[in-house]
Amino acid sequence: MQSITEKKATRRDFLKATGLTTAALGFPTIIPSSALGNAETPAPSNRIVMGGIGLGNMGSGDMGNFLNNPLVQYVAVCDVRGNVRDERKKQVDGKHGNTDCKAYVDFRELLAREDIDAVHIATPDHWHAIQMIEACRAGKDVFCQKPETRTLREGALVVEAARRYGRVVSGGSQRVLEDYRGIVQKCWGGELGPIKAINVEMGTISKPCNLPEEKCPDNMDWEMWLGPAPWAPYNHSRCDGNFSCEGGSWRSYSDYSGGNMTDWGAHHIGGATFAVDVRELQPTDVILTVEGDKRWLSFKYPNGVELTLNKPGKGQHQVDGTPGEKRAAKKVPEYAAKGGIGADFLECIKTRGKPFRDIELAVNTVTVCHLGIIAYTLGRSLKWDAAKQLFVGDEEANRFIDRARREPWQL
Amino acid sequence: MSEQLDKAFDALKTYDWGMEPNLVKPIEDAIVATHTDAAARKELETRLIAALKAESPRAAKDVVCRALKTIGTVAAVPALEPLLGDEKLSHMARYALERIPGPEAAKALTDALSKGTPKVKIGVIGSLGARGEASSLVPLTGLLGDSDAGVAAAAATALGDLGSIEAAKALVMSKPVPATKAAVGAASLLCAQRLVKAGNKPAAKITYEKLLASTPSKVVKEAATLGLKSL
Repeated sequence: MQSITEKKATRRDFLKATGLTTAALGFPTIIPSSALGNAETPAPSNRIVMGGIGLGNMGSGDMGNFLNNPLVQYVAVCDVRGNVRDERKKQVDGKHGNTDCKAYVDFRELLAREDIDAVHIATPDHWHAIQMIEACRAGKDVFCQKPETRTLREGALVVEAARRYGRVVSGGSQRVLEDYRGIVQKCWGGELGPIKAINVEMGTISKPCNLPEEKCPDNMDWEMWLGPAPWAPYNHSRCDGNFSCEGGSWRSYSDYSGGNMTDWGAHHIGGATFAVDVRELQPTDVILTVEGDKRWLSFKYPNGVELTLNKPGKGQHQVDGTPGEKRAAKKVPEYAAKGGIGADFLECIKTRGKPFRDIELAVNTVTVCHLGIIAYTLGRSLKWDAAKQLFVGDEEANRFIDRARREPWQL
Repeated sequence: MSEQLDKAFDALKTYDWGMEPNLVKPIEDAIVATHTDAAARKELETRLIAALKAESPRAAKDVVCRALKTIGTVAAVPALEPLLGDEKLSHMARYALERIPGPEAAKALTDALSKGTPKVKIGVIGSLGARGEASSLVPLTGLLGDSDAGVAAAAATALGDLGSIEAAKALVMSKPVPATKAAVGAASLLCAQRLVKAGNKPAAKITYEKLLASTPSKVVKEAATLGLKSL
């Protein structure tokens, strides 16, 4: 397979080197710039060849961004729902003015294509880790929607896979950099002095689902939708991709999602850990406090910083600093290119640099979310050994680090 | 709590898809409430085991296996083990067994490798890998040559998960058929990476070198080269 970094010999170079100019070949000399490329639009042979896996709500947005980026040659779509698949293929073909876009039900067939350099993934959360790891194994760079994992063990494994194969793997929260600039600037600029704590306001966690069986649409592959999750009968609300975490969507149910805790946690906690500069760390302690009917969490970081979740009397991203004390200003990291998190990913594919939302940083955020869910579920405080990826002195909590996958799926 | 719990166990007898999850929620609540009460835990587990053995819908067994994932002990293994060969229940039996510590659960999973359909075996192999079950090295190595390519590939992946010198040796010494070569290559890379993490760079180096000498795919070759450079 030719990787994007090896695509140095362009079609233009080939014509030059062989002396086979268009005139010599007897062809007309008028060639559209889109075929050979220009300053803004590289020739097709120099573009990043991409495909998309899971193309519903978030996936269609990501697809639109990549499809319309002049650096990208978008060639393949994959979704287990026939109507979604057909619609996205139509969009891609419409953009290119041909019918070349291939549509797949099974992501493994898309990943097996040697001409594809990179994929973006926006399937339900229970699929993310398997698909990211399989994509790395196939030599693809990966952009994966948040939350990037469904269990703690998955986090360590996707980071390992990214590093093992030397792939560029970006998490998908655009909000971490773009939505919380005010508080990030204050913290990184030193205005608040050394930071003691930050609070995050967060909604509920997901629940078990026991919806009744409905007739599965003929154009949907239900087995592939469930994938590694426990078998359950089809019900439209079980698999609906709407953004509710309170029922009527896969985001509400614990087999597929952590609910608000991971869905919004990937953004809000990602922004908070970025602001107080602990995004490269994982907490050591999760302290559950119960006051009447209110429960809130405190995550202690090894450098002494505290991240609280729903602490009474605290607002969203409210920071406890030490104004008056000095804290050296630091330059806030930015995307590698203009155009948002997708453009950052594409630029890093070219340079082989780490994207702003490198998978390790994204996993650190989602780890906080998973730790919080486990503490709430078990109703107690926990100690976390980030190096070993194990809870300390709590065998029962360690059972929540992962869950068995339905055959034939393995990580 | 006791009355609600009794009702929940009663509901389990006929609990099926479409019924209100709150009917069985007291079982979840009891798991949390009995955390520091060993006797109550034991009683809860005993009731769950009885419920698992009883005639009940698949959805009810699903609820029981989820609960045993959290509180199951060696006592629950004999009730879970027979379900491993059942294509409909095997996954949820593993859902519990994969997370129950101890050699008894490992033995139940290992014994299941010689039974059941290839599909079921693939699941069991995955659970042994996820547990990092060193005792499964020999049977997993034997399965590298299985006539079912899915089983052989799953065994390779599980050996990769073990990440030991012995697993690395088994992988690089194997002679995979074309259908399993990619899985063996990927698993060898994972083993080598884990060996590096464990501080055993010499063993990782040998693994990478053996891989490179095996005419690997371009992706495996690039990754092995990257691994070697990092040593």
